[in-house]
Amino acid sequence: MTDQWVSFSRRGVAELVHLKGEIDLANANDIGRAIVARTTGANAVLIDLTAVSFLDSAGVRLLDFIVGDLDDRGKPIRLVVGERGAARMTLQLCAFRTDLLTTDLERAAAELDG
Amino acid sequence: MSESGGPDVTSELRLPWDDDPEDLYEHAPCGYLTTLPDGTIVRVNETFLTWTGYARTDLVGHRRFRDLLAVGDRMYYETVYAPLLMMQSEVHEIALEVVGQDGRRLPTLVNSVLERGPGESPRIIRTMVLNATERRSYERELLTARRAAESSEQRVRVLQQIVADLAAAPTEAEVAEAVVRAPEPGFEAASSSIYLVDVERDQLVAVASTDPTTGNWDDMPRSSQRAVAEVARRGDLHVVATVDEAREHFPDLAETMTRSGRSTVVLLPLTTGPVEEPDGVTVLGVLAFSFREERVLDDAELTVIRLLGQQAGQALDRARLYDDARRREEQAGFLARTTRSLDEEHRLLQRARRLVERVVPEIADWASVRLQVGPAGLLESAGGPPPEAALLAGRIAEATSTAGPVWAADGDGLGCTVLPLTARGRVLGTLALRMAPDRRGIEAERLFLIDLADRAGLALENARLYEQERAIARTLQRSLLAADVPGGDPRFAVESYYQAAAQDLEVGGDWFDAFLITPNRLAVVVGDVVGRGIEAATTMGQLRSAIRALASGEHGPARLIEQLDRFCEREEAARMATVVYAEIDLLHGEMTYTCAGHLPPLLHEPAGSPQYLLQARSAPIGSRAGDRRRTEQKVRLASGSRLLLYTDGLVERRGRPIDRGFEVLAREYARRRDAPLKGLTAGLADTMVGRDHADDVCLLCITLGTEERLERSIGADPLQIALLRADLRGWLAGHSVDTDCLNAVLLACSEAVANAIEHGYRDDPFGVVDVTATVSEDAVEVRVTDRGTWRGTGAGFTRGRGLQLIEEAMDEVLFDRGDGTTVIMRRQRGGEL
Repeated sequence: MTDQWVSFSRRGVAELVHLKGEIDLANANDIGRAIVARTTGANAVLIDLTAVSFLDSAGVRLLDFIVGDLDDRGKPIRLVVGERGAARMTLQLCAFRTDLLTTDLERAAAELDG
Repeated sequence: MSESGGPDVTSELRLPWDDDPEDLYEHAPCGYLTTLPDGTIVRVNETFLTWTGYARTDLVGHRRFRDLLAVGDRMYYETVYAPLLMMQSEVHEIALEVVGQDGRRLPTLVNSVLERGPGESPRIIRTMVLNATERRSYERELLTARRAAESSEQRVRVLQQIVADLAAAPTEAEVAEAVVRAPEPGFEAASSSIYLVDVERDQLVAVASTDPTTGNWDDMPRSSQRAVAEVARRGDLHVVATVDEAREHFPDLAETMTRSGRSTVVLLPLTTGPVEEPDGVTVLGVLAFSFREERVLDDAELTVIRLLGQQAGQALDRARLYDDARRREEQAGFLARTTRSLDEEHRLLQRARRLVERVVPEIADWASVRLQVGPAGLLESAGGPPPEAALLAGRIAEATSTAGPVWAADGDGLGCTVLPLTARGRVLGTLALRMAPDRRGIEAERLFLIDLADRAGLALENARLYEQERAIARTLQRSLLAADVPGGDPRFAVESYYQAAAQDLEVGGDWFDAFLITPNRLAVVVGDVVGRGIEAATTMGQLRSAIRALASGEHGPARLIEQLDRFCEREEAARMATVVYAEIDLLHGEMTYTCAGHLPPLLHEPAGSPQYLLQARSAPIGSRAGDRRRTEQKVRLASGSRLLLYTDGLVERRGRPIDRGFEVLAREYARRRDAPLKGLTAGLADTMVGRDHADDVCLLCITLGTEERLERSIGADPLQIALLRADLRGWLAGHSVDTDCLNAVLLACSEAVANAIEHGYRDDPFGVVDVTATVSEDAVEVRVTDRGTWRGTGAGFTRGRGLQLIEEAMDEVLFDRGDGTTVIMRRQRGGEL
């Protein structure tokens, strides 16, 4: 049901979540459930937002929840965003912690493995 | 006296008829008795004494005549003879049996005369006794003959009745029932049983008995040593006269005879074929009947019994033919009905389902179809309980690998027959059946099942091919429809929709296309090819390509359609396709269109109501009867116009005139004037035809130019926000708004609308949110208005974040709370965040 917005793969120890398209009030809950089902036992999580063309506050809420969950379990998480774009803008507007954001998927993966 | 000088004996000789009276009396050819009125014998002649063996002294004065009679005759003497004699003084030809001295009985006829003395008083009785031995045995023969005739007549009557019953018995079971009833009335048998030959199983089967407590009821092979099997093999009547005789030849029979108290058994083969040729006789069964006492059957009875065997055999033969014919007829009927029923379904799954539902319960109590199609295969079952899975799997594997049927056998623990479903020499899958065991007609049954599997295999293979073709046609159609419709151009936006027919029909030949002929000339087309399925899909693809190739931007739509007319001289399947084709000059906002047999486009300009474009009409492509003079019409399109092209599936609905369909379409289209373009065509199709429609529907909607002012109304549904965003994004791009500003406006607008839906219309699913956007040289302004009731504004963290985002993204934000809430947001163009 959420396949058009979210897909999963592995990168080293990390569970890699690819998001794409528009994430808003209408689909954020379903996408959130799909992601949590995969990340709830993960040792590290990478969320790739570079293909996201729109992200609203419902999407921010979803990311906030996942970050909180990983932090509580003491596991690392990184959000990969482009240099520009809708996702970066929204996250910056919401003042997400800069240590969570990265523009380089490979380096983030290497950091998590290390 | 003698001249010859011989002794004269004349005086010595008596004439032969000149008997001595005394000698005549004594040696007369009959007995004489003289008795006193009380019967005491006073005189008797020698003849009587010789016949009876008495001495004269035994009788005279010592015995009365009645003392010499048999016991029964003494009664007769006292009650009939004596009174009659007293009354009539004489009696004649009274039949009495005289008992001799050695006890032998002598049948006699007696005449008596009573002599009376003075005063009429009885004096003596003279009695003549005639020897009637010969006469009596003759009478007895007569009697026996009559009795024999009577019993023979009785037998004939019984036999006639049985023959009549046999003739009226249409089935083997009824023939058996009639035959088994014959021996009791016909031959006074105590009981009888009938066994029938089952040729296919090479067995003799007991099917009926008048006394099931006797006999041995197990089926026996025809090669058995038992008496019944022996007689069936020999084909001739066999009478086991005594238990001893049975013991000698057939110990099994002797045992049952002793147990059931039978002394004689007749084993009669039921035969058909010419009697005179012993080898030509076919034994169809054996009738066994038995007697409590030892019974000797005479030749006449044996003849009748043999006749019964032949009559019964012929009746059985005929009934078997009838049974076979009826079974064949039933099977043929079942096959015909099943084939017809399968033909009614086109899809593979439905056909497989129908097959098992036909088979259960009519011929089986459980059935399943397994097909090796697709990655998972297909399995449909009916009836129950299902058989043991592992055993069944083995049998299915066998039938699949050998491509031959595996028949159920007695005691195989499964009772299922598995038939391979083949088509064109390939095993497509299997049909497994559990049927009630049938004692007869196994060979015919097998042929029937093979026929059934053949037909089912073909029907399922055709459904599979249909399914495959359908999938190919759909894929082909989808790939053609989805291909590169231009987007991201601020001068126009295209929205299309294709909905396949709801029923399981093949794909239709509806299509749409939009492409840029030159950088400033857009072509849009919607067409409909005659026919369905893969051919229609292919033709559609060819027409679509032909139009793309022929569109030059120099000759115009009418010329293009003329070229299509020529094209279908080569491509016959394209004939009678309908097309609406338009070329839009994006620089000058002018459209040139033509309609070849297609429904008119519907144009909605920014002001006014929608209009059907009814000019430039001509006949379908390649039409022979229609007007093929192709014309074209130019029409100016104001910025913000929306043009709708569609196929007939959108307006045609059973039971509704087409003009009514046009009216409804125009009204619905007008009602959506302010709806976002994205989702417009799908929404129209949904409203116009619903989900359950018989035809394909194809729509193409284009918006031209950029509205100065964007006005949209959307329902209180989160899904609508994305549709609005698509319009807004296109509109902002059309006005060359920079990316940062564009993203910020999109975000703020989405959040404002989400707020309105989540808070303003929390309790009102039918609420409407109005969005108005204007753009100036230096800024974008968006107003989002709802008429809902806000509760707990800003209370929740989550909406708080939404509001925070609006504040962060926009330069100025105003809330106007009156009847509802209006959010007014403004963002500078080209500015930094």
